[in-house]
Amino acid sequence: MEPVLTRRIGKENSRTIDGYVADGGYAAWKKVLSEGWTPERLTDEVKKSGLRGRGGAGFPTGVKWGFIPKDTKGKPIYLLCNADESEPGTFKDRLLMEQDPHQVIEGVILSAYAIKCKTAYIYIRGEFYLGARVLEKAIEEAYAKGYLGENILGSGYALDLTVHRGAGAYICGEETGLIESLEGKRGQPRIKPPFPAVSGVFNAPTIVNNVETLACVPHIVNRGAEWFAKIGRNEKNTGPKLYCISGHVNRPGVYEAAMGLQLKELIFGDAYARGMKGGRKVKAVIPGGASANMLTAAEIEDCPLDFDGVAAKGSMLGSAAIIVMNEDTCIVDAARNLSKFFSHESCGQCTPCREGTPWLFKVLDRIEEGEGRVEDIDLLARICGQMANGMTICVFSDAAIAPPLSSVSKFRDEYLHHVEKKTCLVGKRALVTA
Amino acid sequence: MSANPPKPPAAAPPPAPAGPPKDTFTVVFDGTPIEVPKHLNLIEAAKLAGIDIPHFCFHPRLSVVGQCRMCLVEIEGIPKIQAACTTPLKDGLSVKTTTDKVKSGRAATMEFLLINHPLDCPICDQAGECTLQDNSFGYGNQLSQFDETKRQYPGFDRTLLGPHVIADMTRCIQCTRCIRFCHEIAGTSELTFLDRGGRTLVWTHDGKPLANDWSGCAADVCPVGALTTREFRFRKRVWYLNKTRSVCPGCNVGCNTSIESKEEIVYRFLPRLNPAVNDYWLCDHGRFLSESLNARDVHKATIRAGSSVQDVHVPAAIEKIAQEIRKTVETTGPSGLFFLGSAHLSNEENFLLRKIADHLACPNRDVVVDKSRTRKVKNPKEWVSGDEAGANYRGAKEMGLEPGRGGYGLEAVLSGKASPECILVADAGFAAAADDAEKVALLRRARFLGTAARTANALTRAADVVLPAASLAEKEGTFTNVQDRVQKFDRAFLPRPPIRAHWELLLMLAVAIGWGDRNWTPADVLEQIAAEVEGYGGIRAGDGELEGGALLKKGDFAWAGQP
Repeated sequence: MEPVLTRRIGKENSRTIDGYVADGGYAAWKKVLSEGWTPERLTDEVKKSGLRGRGGAGFPTGVKWGFIPKDTKGKPIYLLCNADESEPGTFKDRLLMEQDPHQVIEGVILSAYAIKCKTAYIYIRGEFYLGARVLEKAIEEAYAKGYLGENILGSGYALDLTVHRGAGAYICGEETGLIESLEGKRGQPRIKPPFPAVSGVFNAPTIVNNVETLACVPHIVNRGAEWFAKIGRNEKNTGPKLYCISGHVNRPGVYEAAMGLQLKELIFGDAYARGMKGGRKVKAVIPGGASANMLTAAEIEDCPLDFDGVAAKGSMLGSAAIIVMNEDTCIVDAARNLSKFFSHESCGQCTPCREGTPWLFKVLDRIEEGEGRVEDIDLLARICGQMANGMTICVFSDAAIAPPLSSVSKFRDEYLHHVEKKTCLVGKRALVTA
Repeated sequence: MSANPPKPPAAAPPPAPAGPPKDTFTVVFDGTPIEVPKHLNLIEAAKLAGIDIPHFCFHPRLSVVGQCRMCLVEIEGIPKIQAACTTPLKDGLSVKTTTDKVKSGRAATMEFLLINHPLDCPICDQAGECTLQDNSFGYGNQLSQFDETKRQYPGFDRTLLGPHVIADMTRCIQCTRCIRFCHEIAGTSELTFLDRGGRTLVWTHDGKPLANDWSGCAADVCPVGALTTREFRFRKRVWYLNKTRSVCPGCNVGCNTSIESKEEIVYRFLPRLNPAVNDYWLCDHGRFLSESLNARDVHKATIRAGSSVQDVHVPAAIEKIAQEIRKTVETTGPSGLFFLGSAHLSNEENFLLRKIADHLACPNRDVVVDKSRTRKVKNPKEWVSGDEAGANYRGAKEMGLEPGRGGYGLEAVLSGKASPECILVADAGFAAAADDAEKVALLRRARFLGTAARTANALTRAADVVLPAASLAEKEGTFTNVQDRVQKFDRAFLPRPPIRAHWELLLMLAVAIGWGDRNWTPADVLEQIAAEVEGYGGIRAGDGELEGGALLKKGDFAWAGQP
């Protein structure tokens, strides 16, 4: 597939507005204005394209936009671009923002137009300092050229766009946590309903879209929904997709492919990660960031990387962060590491998550350090079972149980080895047991 | 927090009213439909159905946060388990509270809450009125596989957060009720969450003290022993305490309180729910007056003879006062008498004093009150505020303790415009003036000065007769608050003989001068008030509502048989 979202990455002047316009940038926006597209037509076009949210949940974007009430009772509508890319293993939005910021901005402008929004924010994670600076500079350029501000290109439409930097919290990537944080409050997810489309930031209707999602919109406008819908494995999984692959592979990085790329192709294909480092075998793959269930080597056979393909394997595409672990990896150690992350990032408002995530870490830590007991393995599964499916306000704890729960069920032998032999199956952590 | 033991579901829900009005929903609880008002939270609605949904973070007057995850229920049509408190009520909602999924969900939350809780109930003041204990007993599994080190909060345990509240974060369950109380009710926002995840703790923001006027309520709303009050801490196990419905003596707002006492000692005041007055709240000024009820200097009746003071029997002291009254009436007529009521005394007591004056045809009667700083309390409708240092100035005046035709008041006596021969001060602590030597000297110009007292002051030291009088906890009666609401307070315990309630002392005096019946009770006196005092016509002692302390506003109610 010819690159779409990444077509300008690596080019000189990829960050400047002149470079972007020279490459056909802002054409979609001009098209919408010159052809007199109504917001409804733009929304319909996105609906027809089958674009699904690239942030993790995979919800159809056009449908989400349609949730904004017809009568907002005088309240403004807000568009928030979720650039709090915090899912471990994910680094695709960063690439788009740092390398081709105007593509993101044009996506924001078009989407804002589609939902009749006059104020949009890009909420970028605090650690993305470069991204924030690049975006701010690009926004300045866009204002100067009249793509943002009052009466955009003489259309009468006005839009203000502001970059807001987060303070470094994973939970602020959850859309209501992001909204709370943007309002200047502690980043804690809100109770839903009401959903943000009805009452979001400043209690006004709000749409929160991922960076990559928004970046797709100009291409849908330029080349048509049909073109977009044809890319991908089937009509439910359409469009180009950025895959972030990391771990024990030869060439980790961000790769663009049609939605539905085979997982094995991504790992072994010449155009992609080019196989395992040192020719080692695959032991486990996390297909969608830390929140996704691990897959075994057997499960990666015929695994199309799209929302439904990965779901069929009992995991999720999530943010398309593929983390590959080779046969030398201690799965218990990997689960411990991920649990430490979740324990550190829980916001602390709901009891099961606040208390459960550190508990999971402590048990995993004990097992990894050779102090586990056989019953700890079932304990892990039991704790996980008590944290998910409605036990908490948001799905953080549903995500937090993925690494321990999937590893316990799929790599039970490694856990057993740890608790029985007090050593690691892969020999990394051989403890003298006298 | 009052103890809230889990209750078994009632056998049958209240019958649905015929022809449901528009402001209710039909909600099905465990298969039984009932009508519930639309504005209720699901937890409150369940209570109407006799179903106890355990919870920690939900409070009827605070915003709903859905954080504790204890109130889990199943809602028909939703596959996932739901928090009851965040589920909007709607017509036809079907709620299941007893399924295995619900039971295991609640047990899971209990287990999570307890893994890091110190379980130091034996040394925790909340024990006995702890929601964590109650819910653990009612809904927990009683055992846990947690075998790790419990979380500690070095530097955040056993620390005074302000003048009254002590925090111990090891016991905290992060329900945020205290944070929400300070933010939403007090409006001062001293408390906040610090850090996140398992390290989350509640503390004051920027080190500013928790020093709002209602800081004790933060400890009230705390379902566990994380916030306790300095004053009550380690004083008494709560299960020993007797609760008596009372009214705060602190000002004329008249917050409804519960006097918590044991063996004739008052240990604390707690707010008692009355949505028309103080709702769930009580200000610190009133709350911490509880200790003052235990103070006593005057144990016996005394009569002064020259420079010596003699202990006498109360009837003898009463007879002495009656003699002095008769003597004054014989020599100078009723105009030589002066009667001073008190804003600290009940309507019944002030009424008896007025009747004594009436019987003697004496128009010289008065009541005064000190002004205090404005004290206020928030109920769902409004802030109720008062600025009088006595609870019943309004009632005392309405009982007729104002100078009658041709009579004079306290000001005339103190300024020398009037020179009564015989002064009777019903309550020696009537105002700050009673402990002002100069003002007492002006009163002392009378030939006879009699009073009743609990604690000593300049007035008791100067008086000819001092009667030993009961505290608020030792008597019953009614106060009329700033809203003109008549509120009954009950007796927590009897005064130790020979101490008597003011009303009894006044009744004895009335009988001694030839009026009244020694067998009357405050309830009988209240009946007379209802018959004689304008605006009090509908008030009946012994009526359930009045007894219950749910209170009456003059004129806005009607009893059966009332015109």
